[in-house]
Amino acid sequence: MATTTATITLSSADLLSDNLSLSATTTLYKDGTTATGLEQVNYHRAIVPTGTNFDLIPESDALKDNSNYVYIINKNTDVTNYVVISINNKVMGRLYAGDWAFFPWSCDLSAAANDSTVELQAYVANATVEYALFHVGETLATAADS
Amino acid sequence: MATTTATITLSSIDIADNPINISNTATLHTAGTDTGLTETTGLARVKTNSGSNTILLDFGLTSGVAADMTADKSAKVYIKNVNDRGDGTKYVTILLTDKEIGRLYGGDWMFIPYSGGSGEDIEFTASDTTETTLEYALFYQ
Repeated sequence: MATTTATITLSSADLLSDNLSLSATTTLYKDGTTATGLEQVNYHRAIVPTGTNFDLIPESDALKDNSNYVYIINKNTDVTNYVVISINNKVMGRLYAGDWAFFPWSCDLSAAANDSTVELQAYVANATVEYALFHVGETLATAADS
Repeated sequence: MATTTATITLSSIDIADNPINISNTATLHTAGTDTGLTETTGLARVKTNSGSNTILLDFGLTSGVAADMTADKSAKVYIKNVNDRGDGTKYVTILLTDKEIGRLYGGDWMFIPYSGGSGEDIEFTASDTTETTLEYALFYQ
């Protein structure tokens, strides 16, 4: 097993009348275990053209253990550029330049095909995104010449 | 305007041959600008003994905590399951209305953009009826 931690720090000195300072850390464990860490990760960087909604993280039978975690960041620097993240046809929200998201992801194969696929569309300009999936497994394709 | 930052650090020394250290800081701006978000629900805490589907953020609910949020802008949501992990089988499912995003086990947190819109609420369902405690905050315009 591996030990992977995810920490968030939210802070502001002037959003509220008192300082906002919040921090949380979690360790990424497998479903149904007390301390068995996720052992697999995919880490990508991609340039996503505008005009099309793409499957960023497709469903896979090997992922259906429902203990997967997704990180996505929009690396563009123009503040008007954004990407829209969806879970299939349900829009989650917009990541503007520099914004990131981190969330657990349930790969649900019981519903319609691609019903839980993580999708992403770039708006205004092509978007450079980095994304990572910490996961329980993946299905490797058998080589065509095997 | 206000300056609010969200920093993530993803770290592992043994998930790969070389350590992974991902760290990034986002400043929470209004849509398409470099002006900081100025509205928030603040950090809130909710407890439930229900295993039924429950609305956490009710978009547009009059007098609700998210009543003034504008759809399709630059809102962000933080949610944490503050329960202990226990035996690792208890969790809270977080949903975009009827669409499951994923499961927060005890101690897990998430931070996502939120578009909102009519009927587009953020909901949760605990995996059992023992007490579950969530903390959450919405930053919005």
